[in-house]
Amino acid sequence: MKKSSSGISRRVFIKGSVATIGIGAMSTFPFGKAFGDDFPSRNIKIVVPTGAGGGADKNLRAFMGVWKKYIKTDFQPDFFSGAGGQVGYELYLGKRDPDAYNLLFGNMGPESIMYVLQKPKYKFPGDYIYFNRVDVDPSVIWVRAGSPFKTIEDLVAEGKKRTVTISVSRLPHPASIGALALAEATGAKFNLIPYGGGNPTVVAALTGEVDASALPMANPVSAGEQARILGVFSPKNLIPEQSNNAPPINAVFGTKIPDLPSARAFAIHAKAAEKFPERYEKLKSTMRKVFDDPDYKVAIEKTGRPWEFVSYADEAECMEYANNMIDLTNRYIKLLTAKGKSKKKK
Amino acid sequence: MEFTLDFLIQLFMTSLGHWYVIIPAIIIGLVIGAIPGLGPANTLIILLPFTLSLEVNTAMAFMVALYCSARMGAGIPAILVNIPGTAGAAATPFDGYPMTQKGMAQQALTLSFVASAFGGLIASIFSIFALPFLARVGYYFHSVEMVVVMLFGLTLIAVVSTGNTLKGLIGGLFGLLVGAIGPDHIYSAPRATFGFLELYDGVPVVAALIGIFAISEALLMIEVKSILTEAGKVRMAAQTRWTETMEGVRMAAKRWWHIVWTSFIGLGIGVVPGAGAPIAAFVAYQQSRLFSKTPELYGTGHPEGILAPESANNGVTSGSLIPLLTLGIPGGSTAAIMLIVIQFHGIVLGPRIFLDMPTFPYGVLMGMVVTYLFMVGTILPLARYMSRVTLIPTQYLAPVIISFTLVGAFSPRTYIFDMGVALVFGVIGYIARKTGYQVSAILIGVILGPYVERYLMRALRISEGDPMVLFSSTIGNILWVFLILSLILPPLLERIRKR
Repeated sequence: MKKSSSGISRRVFIKGSVATIGIGAMSTFPFGKAFGDDFPSRNIKIVVPTGAGGGADKNLRAFMGVWKKYIKTDFQPDFFSGAGGQVGYELYLGKRDPDAYNLLFGNMGPESIMYVLQKPKYKFPGDYIYFNRVDVDPSVIWVRAGSPFKTIEDLVAEGKKRTVTISVSRLPHPASIGALALAEATGAKFNLIPYGGGNPTVVAALTGEVDASALPMANPVSAGEQARILGVFSPKNLIPEQSNNAPPINAVFGTKIPDLPSARAFAIHAKAAEKFPERYEKLKSTMRKVFDDPDYKVAIEKTGRPWEFVSYADEAECMEYANNMIDLTNRYIKLLTAKGKSKKKK
Repeated sequence: MEFTLDFLIQLFMTSLGHWYVIIPAIIIGLVIGAIPGLGPANTLIILLPFTLSLEVNTAMAFMVALYCSARMGAGIPAILVNIPGTAGAAATPFDGYPMTQKGMAQQALTLSFVASAFGGLIASIFSIFALPFLARVGYYFHSVEMVVVMLFGLTLIAVVSTGNTLKGLIGGLFGLLVGAIGPDHIYSAPRATFGFLELYDGVPVVAALIGIFAISEALLMIEVKSILTEAGKVRMAAQTRWTETMEGVRMAAKRWWHIVWTSFIGLGIGVVPGAGAPIAAFVAYQQSRLFSKTPELYGTGHPEGILAPESANNGVTSGSLIPLLTLGIPGGSTAAIMLIVIQFHGIVLGPRIFLDMPTFPYGVLMGMVVTYLFMVGTILPLARYMSRVTLIPTQYLAPVIISFTLVGAFSPRTYIFDMGVALVFGVIGYIARKTGYQVSAILIGVILGPYVERYLMRALRISEGDPMVLFSSTIGNILWVFLILSLILPPLLERIRKR
């Protein structure tokens, strides 16, 4: 074999060059991206579009406490409330990097309604993906324990004689849509009074300022024996023993009111899911393990929330729910807005 | 459970045993209360991992102590530099700051501390004995009644406008308009937000408070060398003795009945979920002036003008915990965080708590009693040293105030935008002060305006637009009579006196 003056054969030189170029090329290849073995290498930031100390905070803390075992990193929740969640969503989508280290923990029901009514700058579906539902909280109609209305039929019958007052958290809320749909379906007259939050809404019903209340089920359940749940906007009552065995409203009246739960879920930038599929997979797979961990049940029970409300759903189911809520909002938009002239948006 | 003396002594001794968390909590509370923008709710959220790790009664003792002392702490900057630490102390500078300018900061601080501690103490002792009955008060105060309560507070605009009624009313109207920015109370449709997303939930009250009071005051300070008047300088130079503190104690002791009845105003308003310290302080100040033999002295550095709001805003503390303990419903943001800790330990609040775990609600209130007793000993001696702040030249004081308060404006929501709001309101406040408009009138409008509108719109919505709903309840009608009498009697009596 012909050797060069330096003593290296051409073949060896070519092999060496190819190997060097190959190593060089491989060094630029994103192994981390391909195999996700170093993800997460830092804290995961979570934007919460509601205030600290509320239901989402409690729920998220319970989840993070267990998820940490599987994802092996810490979390940094940041609370950006305001404008029905719009502030948090705009901040997340506008100012947080789409790198899968930034997530959002939202309430899909009210925040999908907000999306239709407030017409924010971002696009859904398109800019973000809901991908891991942690719970559902069915909407219900309930009264104080001493109320003359013993059943949902009593309340509707009274609503046919006179206007019944119903406290709600906000008009743009799944429970409010439920009450409006029930009134429309049965011919009862319901006057919805917004109280700007779950607690004052409960107080209004307990103190008798209004006849009844429409809220997510966890609110009257937390009021214990002071509250009597009359009906559930859901195909099945998840906690019959804690809710006087309240029946599904559709089963009572033969109506076809859609399922109207509040549902909290994690969301991720659509770009992050596309650009870092392995990270997205790791997020999903580790989150999924939380639901089977007995520690999660303990953590949820410590928040005072019924374990029966914990309900996992994947990306497809989450997105279907959010899209349905958008359709419902468009359907009842005239009743939910002051002018009733808002344009449909999807 | 038998409600006996032994039971009370046992509760007291148990609460006393938590001294090791109560005293640090008092110190933390005083500091965070004194820094505008940092409130007990924010602090308790930060400290949540710590409180969750404590045994529930210990955690409650810590949180209650921090909550109570933060209320007291908020009065310190209100008196010393005309900057209320929280909206609950917004009525304190009306008379606190004029006393400071006269060189009587030590006495003013002492009046505030005594009123806060004893007002809170009286209200919490009363709450222990009347807990089940107080729980019922919320059942009788609905939107209609609250409209009238709010109007009591709003009439303060007329009170603070004495001397130039037109400018006062214009200021109040401006405040009401600013308070109307944000969502309407029925459809949540945003109004007058000028496209700013950060205004969708209304003007941030803390940032507005900081701007109107703190920034504008700091801007004014730049123009002078000292916040004290010439007479005040002489007086302050002469006094750094304990006797000045004792003089403050004597001034408060002479008016003990004033502390008692204004603390009950705080307790009564605190019991109604959603109402709170700012309303209680304004209403107490208004009522205090109404029943005073020397109403003309209010606003000039009158001791009763400090005692009333400070006693009332601490009376609120026990009142605001009553809906939480008896109904399981937090009356405010601080109580909501307490609820997280309580639920974490598996305690279910509500009427059954008196059967299932009666020592818990009474223990929480007894913790408050112990806190207020500790507070007297902790803070009173400090009045002497705190009053020296007024001797700091304004060239140092003003920049420190602006920096600290801008951080305070940022901290509740962590929006840079809120610092801008504070600066804008600072300039508005500065112009108002220079042109003789009452910044207090503006602030009353900003704070109380949204409450009045909220309750009014709810009442009208319930009645389907019938305004006669405002006269449909017995309690509401009694309150209307008192309101009208409080408006027409003082000038009528004055006219009769002059004849």
